[in-house]
Amino acid sequence: MNFIYLDHNATTPLLPETEKFVVSNLSTFGNPSSIHWAGRKSKALIREARSHLSQFLKVSPLEIIFNSGASESNNTIIKTTFLHSAKKHFMCSMVEHPSVIKTMQYIQGLGAKVDFIPVSRDGVIDLEFYKNHLTKDTALVSVMLANNETGNIFPIQKMARMAHEVGALFHTDAVQALGKHAINLNELGVDYASFSGHKFYAMKGSGILFSKKGVPQISLMHGGAQERHRRGGTENLLGIASFGEVARIALSHGPGFIEKKSSEIKVLRDHMEKRILSEISEVSVMAAGSSRLTNTSSLILKDVDGETLLMNLDIKGYAVSTGAACSSGNPEPSPVLLSMGLTRAEAQTSLRLSLGWENTFQQVNQFVDDLKISVQKIRDIANSPYKFDMRREHDAAL
Amino acid sequence: MMLPFKQNPTNEVQAFTELHKRKPRVLVAMSGGVDSSAAASLLVDQGYDVVGATMQVWDYSNCDVTEGNGTCCSSIDVDDARSVADHLNIPFYVLNCEAKFKHAVIEPFLKAYLDGQTPLPCVNCNTYLKFDHLIRKMNELECDYLATGHYAQVMPGHDGRPAIFTSTDDWKDQTYFLFTIDPEVVPKLLFPIGHMKKPDVRVYCEEKGLVTAKKKDSTGICFVGNMGYDKFIESQVAPEILKAKSGVIRRFPSGDVMGNHTGIHHFTIGQGKGLGLTHHEKLFVLKVDIKDNTVWVGDEEYLYSHDVQVIDPQLLSSVADGEVLGVKIRYQQKTSPAKVVKTETGFKLEFLEKQRAVTPGQAAVFYREKQLVGGGWITL
Repeated sequence: MNFIYLDHNATTPLLPETEKFVVSNLSTFGNPSSIHWAGRKSKALIREARSHLSQFLKVSPLEIIFNSGASESNNTIIKTTFLHSAKKHFMCSMVEHPSVIKTMQYIQGLGAKVDFIPVSRDGVIDLEFYKNHLTKDTALVSVMLANNETGNIFPIQKMARMAHEVGALFHTDAVQALGKHAINLNELGVDYASFSGHKFYAMKGSGILFSKKGVPQISLMHGGAQERHRRGGTENLLGIASFGEVARIALSHGPGFIEKKSSEIKVLRDHMEKRILSEISEVSVMAAGSSRLTNTSSLILKDVDGETLLMNLDIKGYAVSTGAACSSGNPEPSPVLLSMGLTRAEAQTSLRLSLGWENTFQQVNQFVDDLKISVQKIRDIANSPYKFDMRREHDAAL
Repeated sequence: MMLPFKQNPTNEVQAFTELHKRKPRVLVAMSGGVDSSAAASLLVDQGYDVVGATMQVWDYSNCDVTEGNGTCCSSIDVDDARSVADHLNIPFYVLNCEAKFKHAVIEPFLKAYLDGQTPLPCVNCNTYLKFDHLIRKMNELECDYLATGHYAQVMPGHDGRPAIFTSTDDWKDQTYFLFTIDPEVVPKLLFPIGHMKKPDVRVYCEEKGLVTAKKKDSTGICFVGNMGYDKFIESQVAPEILKAKSGVIRRFPSGDVMGNHTGIHHFTIGQGKGLGLTHHEKLFVLKVDIKDNTVWVGDEEYLYSHDVQVIDPQLLSSVADGEVLGVKIRYQQKTSPAKVVKTETGFKLEFLEKQRAVTPGQAAVFYREKQLVGGGWITL
């Protein structure tokens, strides 16, 4: 079977060069904190990775804290700010990743006041709501740079400035934007940002908490002196090294590399969407008119159960997603799409396609050809009754 | 045996492949038990393009992880099904069917007990989930067949069309639970282990190195687990509803009051233990009267009867009025000849030999020789 991967917002494959680099370093085993030859070799890998990533992100090496990934970064910033700030008001958007939403709900249970900023059906964030709820008591605002399901890009620069005007700290979960959208953390003006290597063609289990010089820096993980006491625990050496290696490769292509990749993928994505919209009936693209990542396409397909479509396509070799991957196995429709005002029934018909650096026109065309057949097949039987119809039961109960 | 179908599935697969220029694709229902694991593995051996699925039917999030071990639907079983699928290198999905299972299986199960009956939830699970929900899934996933690990066989019936026949393993035969299957669906069904005996199924799984080879058989009802019926019902139904079902125990035919009981859900016809009576003779439950919640007990001889009323019949093959068929009135019982007479609401079964403990809520299932013909629900 021909396997085609169209789920880069869930995770990315290792770049072939990165894979080679990791394999060649498999025997590097020393503890980076050790003074001897074995430790030095490991420490060098981490130092090089930090150097490449700081250049890539255009920040100081000291502003990079390596950890396990964006979920840890998000937890760290929200929980430590809650524990240490005298101010108890927090804000985030309604479409954040669960590692932000659930952490906000957690501190809410401990006494924080949290406001969740709504978005429109196009995924545009309600800046009026945001402005009206920011106060001198706001400790932290956390808004993602780009949404994982729809690709919506939020006006972080503007929102960070507004937060700073009232003396609040600003955090952005930038995990989805890395590698897909040119990021300039200085221009954005955020205090903190979260990244994961595995969404950037590196290995799973390593991430970055960007923490701007001068802002409060408190560890969630107490232990050794790693990351200048900001994150205890022996480093995920090869994870970090692979992350740095991808940054090195990106830098080696010269300035504007991400912009170039991003526009190449946009051509592919737009071609795919154009074909889908013209060749499949009753389909719409979420946030089509808004600013969004160039690789993401969030479809709503009338009368097609998203999970069933995913399985059908999987059997044919295509990896796609319905809403957030974290919700698989859970019958609840995507909270992001519900927050955007879709009904439960509509949200259950969603399909998310997210392209990556290695996808080709030929792959996308083959996918659309098969998608048409799959959608038709499922629609053909969508209205044939079950012997025990939950919809009928549900309607009767109402 | 008459048929190439069971005898040489590999040839069937080859013929299909030549005709359609692709392998036949089959969706196999995998519970994580030994039988459905063997079924999936046999299909892979035979050359099918196999897709595995487990229906998650009950919420285990509050369960102790060891609680459901060994029954057919604990979360450990889902993990086992997944590891077998991984071992076979086939796609595998967990289908969330909790809401449908609750409404189509659990709720009727509870209602039957409150109505003084002894329900048979596995039939509803087959009717509404395995052979309806999964049939739809089979079509949606563009599969040609649906396979399960049932001890049953599909072979040509007397009219040459595919029909359901009993398993080679008389002891394990599960056709009793299959009488509600739609006749149109039968040609789409594969029962890969239906021609095998249980010990051979285990040997096969061991040879294949499947993790489920040594798992103990699931017995009883999956969602009840080790809890027991009484406790399960008490965990699901409000105490005041159960209390309203308490009453007296009377002896038949005298009508003497023998004692009190705390709810009719504790009783089933033919039950001789746990009656809470201090009586020197062996007494059995003869009848549960839901008008006043009286439980009638008496000597064993009163348990026997010739005639059985059956409602909501489902037929897989036509039955002539008055035809004598083999009939089972409970699982793991041999068939007994009965004249099947049509009535307004179903059938009256006139058994040639008296039957013990005819139990409302159970099924009466009809066979012509080894072929499953249909069945219905026993009523008073």
